[in-house]
Amino acid sequence: MSMQTSPQGQATPTTATMGRSRRVLKRALRFGRREPSFALGLVLTALILSVALFPGLYSQVSPTDIDTTASLQAPSASHWFGTDELGRDIYSRSIHGTRVTLSIVAGSMMISAFFGGLLGVVAGYTGRLTDMMFGRGIDVVLSFPPIILGVIISGVLGPSTTNLVLALSIVYIPSFFRIARSGAISESSRTYVEAARSVGLTGRAILFRHILRNVMPLIMLQYMILFPLVLQIQAALGFLGLGVQPPTPDWGAILEQGKDYILFAPWISLFPGLFIMISALSVTLIGRSLQKRMN
Amino acid sequence: MGSYLVKRLGASLLTAMLSSIAVFLVVRAVPGDVVAQMLGQSGGSGSQAEDALRRFFGLNQPLHIQYLDWLGGVLKGDLGQSWVRGQPVTEVVLKAFTVTLQLGLMTLAFATFLGVPLGLIAGLYEGRRVDTAIQAFNILGLSAPVFWLGLILLIAVSSLFSWSPPLIYRSPFVDLSDNLATLILPILSLGILQAAAYSQFTRQCVVGAFSEDYVRTALAKGLPMRVVFSKHILRNIMISLVTFMGLILIQILGGVVVIESLFSLPGLGRLLITAIEARDYPVVQGALLMVVFSALIVNLLVDMLYHVIDPRVRVDS
Repeated sequence: MSMQTSPQGQATPTTATMGRSRRVLKRALRFGRREPSFALGLVLTALILSVALFPGLYSQVSPTDIDTTASLQAPSASHWFGTDELGRDIYSRSIHGTRVTLSIVAGSMMISAFFGGLLGVVAGYTGRLTDMMFGRGIDVVLSFPPIILGVIISGVLGPSTTNLVLALSIVYIPSFFRIARSGAISESSRTYVEAARSVGLTGRAILFRHILRNVMPLIMLQYMILFPLVLQIQAALGFLGLGVQPPTPDWGAILEQGKDYILFAPWISLFPGLFIMISALSVTLIGRSLQKRMN
Repeated sequence: MGSYLVKRLGASLLTAMLSSIAVFLVVRAVPGDVVAQMLGQSGGSGSQAEDALRRFFGLNQPLHIQYLDWLGGVLKGDLGQSWVRGQPVTEVVLKAFTVTLQLGLMTLAFATFLGVPLGLIAGLYEGRRVDTAIQAFNILGLSAPVFWLGLILLIAVSSLFSWSPPLIYRSPFVDLSDNLATLILPILSLGILQAAAYSQFTRQCVVGAFSEDYVRTALAKGLPMRVVFSKHILRNIMISLVTFMGLILIQILGGVVVIESLFSLPGLGRLLITAIEARDYPVVQGALLMVVFSALIVNLLVDMLYHVIDPRVRVDS
């Protein structure tokens, strides 16, 4: 595609790249018109990722600097989102909180996807006793509503980032287990598995080289679909004081600190909540579009 | 149906049993129990006092003895004594449960009466502007954190109507209007979220039904849309809608933890959090048992409703 030349024939490199970028732009616009919600999700996600990766580009103010002379100030030109009771800049805290919050969510979900996916594939493929034993364990986890399980684990172990990650990963193992298990069951009745078995491949090879690879897309889609939910639970635990501890900026934790000032300084709570909502929204938009395509 | 129910009940009880063991172990697995906390607060920590307290709470016994003791009590309806409040746990938990139950059922009613009609409309007018608007509501509702919605509502009513809910919860049997005034914001914030979920699900059901053969046939033989919708589609998606109601109720049961602490409601969720903070094991265990049992009962009820609505439902899965 890159070999296609513009109508001017032998163009100089700069105009060629300009033509290419215009083509890319045109394509992007066409895509945006055809699938507006997918496009919106992608744009928002890219924006959020850039905030998470380079918070310094968006805010030069330190998120932990205390300035008691400027406490509980309303949003203004110097403090876009206002300040909290210690005079810390809410805009900077929200921006710097992006990486903290999202990496906790993404990391814990990777852990649950890894263990849930692995156990699920093994249970689905082996069946029988293994399946039954794993299934019982998963049922126990599932008998608690997710947030309550999160509260117990992080509450009992004590509030800290590590325990929060542990709690979130345990809570969501069942979701990945189920999807991987049902995927493995339907895959193992396919002809290619039969073929692999008749060629003489061992169970383990079939499981890890073939079935796991085919179940992978399901697990990844599940990751996208669950992401907004996990983000909300993460924020809820932070809001209950069971998550990231101050002074580290975390969206849920900022909301927790703002709770007591809600009627005189609503801006403390308003903006981090908006950040949570926008992040959840953007991943939901992408997840839904992908799901539609896969069906 | 009888044998199915027995089997189903057995499985639920086994799960409940395993869950209670899990709860029991988790609560005790951590360093820093109630004794350490009490002695830490009073300043002194003589080993004699510690031993006496441990004996008093039964913590000197081996774990399995402690568990069996507790289980024996549970079967008799006695969840033990609260270590911090000095009241019977059964009483404390039941009192908190009535608050949560009222909140939960009213939220469910709100979510159903808002969510299902929205979903039906969106599904009927798939691809039109109404559908887009309702879908936007669904996605936004599902993305907003429930406690944040609560905070926003609190700011909104206090700045628009200069009204804020009463600070102290009263039982509906004592003062109904006061009780409702306290609950209205929690119900709205939880309910909007769940209505979004319900509406999204209902829409999917309707859209799915439209691609089914029976709908096409009914429309092809000239039945008016109104009839097809009320007689064919609605009846067929009813089962899914009822099942989802159970799911929503369980979601609400979890959501109350956050919303109760935000609005200072003395329900099960807040009880759980305060008890965990105080390391009041009997109360934590009792409250969790109540939550797990409620979830199990909701699931059982949904399964039974299934049978009532559609006797063909497979028994084994």
